[in-house]
Amino acid sequence: MVTYEAAIDALGDPTRRAIVERLRRGPSAVGELARGLPVSRPAVSQHLRVLREAGLVADEPAGARRIYRLDPAGIAALRDYFESFWTDVLDDFKAAAETAAAPTTEEERA
Amino acid sequence: MSVPTAALTVRKTIDVACSVEQAFETFTTGIARWWPLATHSVGDERARTAVFEAGVGGRIYEIWDDGSEHEWGSVTVWEPSSRVVFSWSPNPDREAATEVEVRFVSEGDGARVDLEHRGWERLGEEGPSVRKSYETGWDAVLGRFCSAG
Repeated sequence: MVTYEAAIDALGDPTRRAIVERLRRGPSAVGELARGLPVSRPAVSQHLRVLREAGLVADEPAGARRIYRLDPAGIAALRDYFESFWTDVLDDFKAAAETAAAPTTEEERA
Repeated sequence: MSVPTAALTVRKTIDVACSVEQAFETFTTGIARWWPLATHSVGDERARTAVFEAGVGGRIYEIWDDGSEHEWGSVTVWEPSSRVVFSWSPNPDREAATEVEVRFVSEGDGARVDLEHRGWERLGEEGPSVRKSYETGWDAVLGRFCSAG
């Protein structure tokens, strides 16, 4: 199972973020990706492997080549992680905001 | 296939049983009263408190047990009781940031709080300055979450 940790780790590398950026414009083959990046084709393949294992990229054969695309499920998992982060934070915020409001009321009563 | 930016921005809404003034104060300058430092900080168990300075340019940071300060971001829009926007780069080794906007809206006896966390997902944004900023932002926010994990 792919986790958000794997996705976060995979995106810790600037070249892999650049690859993801390229793939957001549409599916692409390794050769096309490598042409737009200052790294070798084998290096791009290696980065794509990491991204695939992290669940962010999927690939499929197209004749003699493989076409890579973003995997919406992996992207969604990462987004879910950030969602969860803010849900936790806002729960604590809500409790504090409502608690802070209470003493004011008691002072008014006193 | 491409992934639309809208599908990646995080938006949260929460209703609180207090005034917008109280909600705004709690979220900003009152952050030390509630921010879950144990699980949401750079220093984890070393983090002692959080500080959210009022006004545009105000710093947001955590203070560790040794007194050192570790910056999360800074305020870019300050509209008391209504709206606050701040950069968000909790990794102190990085400069650029993602962005968080929080809006406070009066609703009946209480308040509605809308939070939007953006920037971390904008890998496809056009414009060199924006892209540079957000690419660094990834480093910042991801570095922070990795260390927090």
